[in-house]
Amino acid sequence: MANDALWYKDAVIYELHVRAFYDANGDGVGEFRGLTLKLEYLQDLGVSVVWLLPFYPSPLRDDGYDISDYTGIHPAYGDLDDFRMFLEEAHRRNIRVITELVLNHTSDQHPWFQEARSSRDNPRRDWYVWSDTVERYKKARIIFTDTELSNWAWDPVSKSYYWHRFFSHQPDLNYDNPVVREAMWGVMKFWFDMGVDGLRLDAVPYLVEREDTACENLPETHGVLKFLRARVDATFPGKMLLAEANQWPRDVRQYFGDGDECHMAFHFPLMPRMFMALKLEDRKPIVDILQTTPDIPDNCQWGIFLRNHDELTLEMVTDEERDYMYDEFARELRAKINVGIRRRLAPLMEGDRRRIELMNGLLMSMPGSPIIYYGDEIGMGDNIYLGDRNGVRTPMQWNGGWNAGFSGADPEQLYSPIISNPVYGYQAVNVESQRRYDHSLLSWMKRLIRLRKTTRALGRGTMELLAPENHHVIGYMRALANERILITGNLSSQAQAAELDLRQWRGWIPIEMSGGNLFPPIGDLPYLLTLGPYQFYWFRLRRI
Amino acid sequence: MPESSTISEEFLRQLTAVGEVDILVGVPTFNNRDSIERVVSALQVGLTKYFQRERCVLINPDGGSTDGTPEIFKNASVRDFSMLLTSNPLRTFHRLSAPYHGIPGKETALRTLFTAADLLRAKACAIVSPDSLSITPEWVDSLVRPIYRENFDFAAPVYQRRKFDGLLVKGLVSPAVAALYGRKIHEPVGTDLGLSGRLACHFLGKDVWEQDITTFGMEIWMTTTAIVDDFRICESFLGPKIQAAKQYGQDVAGTVRQVVGSLFRCLDEHEPFWKGRDTCEDLPLFGFQYDVALEPIQLSKRRIMDTFRSQVDQLVPILESILAPQTLVEIRNVVQLADREFHYPDELWVKTIYEFAAAHHHSAINRDHLLQALPPLYRGWVSSFVSQNQKADAAKIDQKLEALSHDFERLKPYLIDRWNAEAGGER
Amino acid sequence: MKLLVLQSMNQTLGRFYDMLLQFLPHLLAMLIIFVAGWVVAIIVKIVARRLMALARVNTLSEGSGITQILRKADLPAPLELLSRVVFWVVWIAFLLLGLDALNVPELHVQIARLFQLLPDIFVALIILFLGFLAANFFSRAALLAAVNANLPSARLVSGFVRFLIILLTITMALEQLALAQRTVLITFTIAFGAIMLSLAIAFGIGGRNVAQGMLERVFRPALSKKEDDKEKAEEIPPL
Repeated sequence: MANDALWYKDAVIYELHVRAFYDANGDGVGEFRGLTLKLEYLQDLGVSVVWLLPFYPSPLRDDGYDISDYTGIHPAYGDLDDFRMFLEEAHRRNIRVITELVLNHTSDQHPWFQEARSSRDNPRRDWYVWSDTVERYKKARIIFTDTELSNWAWDPVSKSYYWHRFFSHQPDLNYDNPVVREAMWGVMKFWFDMGVDGLRLDAVPYLVEREDTACENLPETHGVLKFLRARVDATFPGKMLLAEANQWPRDVRQYFGDGDECHMAFHFPLMPRMFMALKLEDRKPIVDILQTTPDIPDNCQWGIFLRNHDELTLEMVTDEERDYMYDEFARELRAKINVGIRRRLAPLMEGDRRRIELMNGLLMSMPGSPIIYYGDEIGMGDNIYLGDRNGVRTPMQWNGGWNAGFSGADPEQLYSPIISNPVYGYQAVNVESQRRYDHSLLSWMKRLIRLRKTTRALGRGTMELLAPENHHVIGYMRALANERILITGNLSSQAQAAELDLRQWRGWIPIEMSGGNLFPPIGDLPYLLTLGPYQFYWFRLRRI
Repeated sequence: MPESSTISEEFLRQLTAVGEVDILVGVPTFNNRDSIERVVSALQVGLTKYFQRERCVLINPDGGSTDGTPEIFKNASVRDFSMLLTSNPLRTFHRLSAPYHGIPGKETALRTLFTAADLLRAKACAIVSPDSLSITPEWVDSLVRPIYRENFDFAAPVYQRRKFDGLLVKGLVSPAVAALYGRKIHEPVGTDLGLSGRLACHFLGKDVWEQDITTFGMEIWMTTTAIVDDFRICESFLGPKIQAAKQYGQDVAGTVRQVVGSLFRCLDEHEPFWKGRDTCEDLPLFGFQYDVALEPIQLSKRRIMDTFRSQVDQLVPILESILAPQTLVEIRNVVQLADREFHYPDELWVKTIYEFAAAHHHSAINRDHLLQALPPLYRGWVSSFVSQNQKADAAKIDQKLEALSHDFERLKPYLIDRWNAEAGGER
Repeated sequence: MKLLVLQSMNQTLGRFYDMLLQFLPHLLAMLIIFVAGWVVAIIVKIVARRLMALARVNTLSEGSGITQILRKADLPAPLELLSRVVFWVVWIAFLLLGLDALNVPELHVQIARLFQLLPDIFVALIILFLGFLAANFFSRAALLAAVNANLPSARLVSGFVRFLIILLTITMALEQLALAQRTVLITFTIAFGAIMLSLAIAFGIGGRNVAQGMLERVFRPALSKKEDDKEKAEEIPPL
């Protein structure tokens, strides 16, 4: 594997759940052995990093984010040997692996909590946050408003309350206790030693509580992260920490520290605005959020995405924007959940190939490392009739045959039904049929990823927004050293003409990247481009 | 569609960049630096608040202002939307300048706006005068919503006027339009109005633009044409109308000449229509109506009466060529009345107007001279009306105006007779 | 003796008879020309009336108020008047022709001169007519403007404008007829100059304040605005 400390800046990340990818042993649930068999597909696709959703032992009351053993593998997915083999195979194919580290809380089934609650004198008592009253930390908001009424839950065993920001079966760990910190460092060390390349730190803003605060983004929390990062840098240079902080950009900025906290963080507010800009046919939402995104340290990187395993969150938008998104994207009431929309990319784009391409074209060229959600590369659909967010977590569709080629088990055995409607069903949308022809979405995605990897400017370069008078068209210039990449996209469903002010690049020649054709050289006059509906161009500028 | 010779290349380029819009708001200006910033801010907030999801554009046709009005228009910005009780706009807000050369008149400005509405396929348009100090963001909603959502074609404004304000409209134009065209419009000469894209294109296709268009008063032409060509018309309450002081304003005589002159010319053009109408409809009124205590206009009755008397005396030879002998005699009798008994009867006033209209039609004397002979008589009626209603409240005044309106309707056959009579005949 | 008288009488009668014989054809010619002229004049009058009706002379003169003035002076309508004028002009021309046919040499010269004058007379008449039209139109315009501007002596202004234009018209007509050209010119210049001078004096000294006000309004608008506003407050608001 290439030894580049900033590998994550050039990464194209693929997010998947082990249980949804491939079932090799016929029990209806995907596992590591199956995933290992499909690594060739991922290598072929061109992704450079795989991000695995939690696969640890867990009562599975929060889809694996309630962990009862940090250093094990859930038996349904295999064992540590299976995992090691998968890791080895991935590295052999030059694919790095990011796994989850849920720092903030454990499952109430975790032995640590079982001990801590057994009595007030137990040595592990202080690993969690206890109280005799519910009056403490009153200013902290409740996150899962649909199910929880309070951040304190009553423990009948030790007759006191314990603190939980998420579900009541997920008690928060106490990071004021240095032993806890060391224990979590131990967990990190375990996985890094095994060869894992990066860890996604789940629910990172909520680590520490203080009286009279909202208990989010506290300086003490950042202190914990700096502590962990320092250890990582000292012991495992080249490993990466990715923060999950669903906040406004200026608040997420703090999780980069001075380059001494997390290496990467998700850019949550950008994502709904890309969808909004597409519906409004106006680039304003994207431009606004990019202009209010602060600069980050040189060794840090944004993680950008279109969809993920959760709902399309609408927390970081105004009320009017949220109403607009609901009205335009979630016409069926069932599609709404919490504060978001639980649909996949293809249904949100109404199956329109051009729109899917445009969104990916923008995603792959915006500042940050793009993350592809499994199945979106073939345009998989969703099932809003499944509970919670399970509608976007259905089995991967490999072919048009038995169980979509996902598993040899009986269909009733599968952990989730397979999408089978005429539009997005596995007979219509699957890897095998798309692999066979050049103009499928899968083939197109492969080419796009390949194009992206031909230049480092997209992952590492600067970003300058252009402002053509035609608001339907978005344009920006990415620059790194001598490279210049010009991106233009038409957000409207109608053909548009736009004049770009490219005078500072007078004399350069734009070369359209997918075809390699020369476009007229840039002169003093505004550069006229005409774009078909939802069309986008990537130009490499070249000086003759 | 007529040639877009009123659209400059630069403006056309800007229009191309904007693309299709749902709502177009136009503010024609000429030296309005005192009020333009407030108007633009109010419009921007109004569009953001009430039409957040719609594609909107704000256009400023400027007739060559020398006081920096176009620059103020371009730079006026709303700093903090949340303080104005609305959220940030969803869409890019387009603001276009369209300077035009030549006579700074409404006609060219409106033609520019109509052409823009046609090119941008706007569904609803609003025209707002740049000197309204009392404008609020709600005006946008009042003028545009009936067009955009309720499918009307023309929304005329309704203002809350100060007592004795706008008597030319209330005492002459509005009842005349109601009686002759059959629609009770409170403000047929309103400078704030809403119209549909359909109607804007219709106006554009008319051949009034080929004629010497500066002779037309555009507002009244638009109102009457919309009525005659059978478009759906409604009214919308806007509230008080307080205007910025004009530096080069017109006096009474000039205004009477222009407004009444354009009314008479419209009567000429629409002769078959209004001769055939004999009913009068109320129009649907949108908007939440409220009353604000406004200071009444201060008028010096006695001075106006005196002016009336002296002016009429001097104009008798001219009036002889316009009015029926009986009417002139009655007017001269009014001149003789003492202040306390001064009364210009409504019926006499209606006859005066109708005789002027007929004389105008026949060109009994030079039309421009004819219109200049009217203001003194208008003064007479005003001073009579004011002195009769000095202590009356708004409701009472409305009643009186209602009665006047009835008189206009009742005497319509009289107008038709005089209109049809041979020139120089029945005198 | 008786024979001499008879002879002389015979001779005289004979000569008279000869002269008569010589004169009669001329006389007859004259009479025929008179009659023919009358007929032609009537035809021309009818044609002229048609032409003028086409040229809407009626409307024009009504518009400028001439009809009213003529009516007041108990004259017939302008169309009628003009056609009668045309009739007379044509018939007088024929009368002159007829007189010319008498072959009296002195008359020849005078008649020739009169004929030379005819086109000038015609033009002068047109000038007068147009002048009257203009005088009427502009005096009325002045009256209306003055009344609407609230000047106290609007009639005076109007009459003055009419007087001026008529004066100018008459002068032009006279000049056209080449009658006492220089005298007329000088008289007119003096009259015109005197009027202007007296106006200037009246305005400059008598109307000093008004002049001041007007100049201020042009060159220092802000200052005079206040006074304007106060004035306007008492006037009816236009709309």
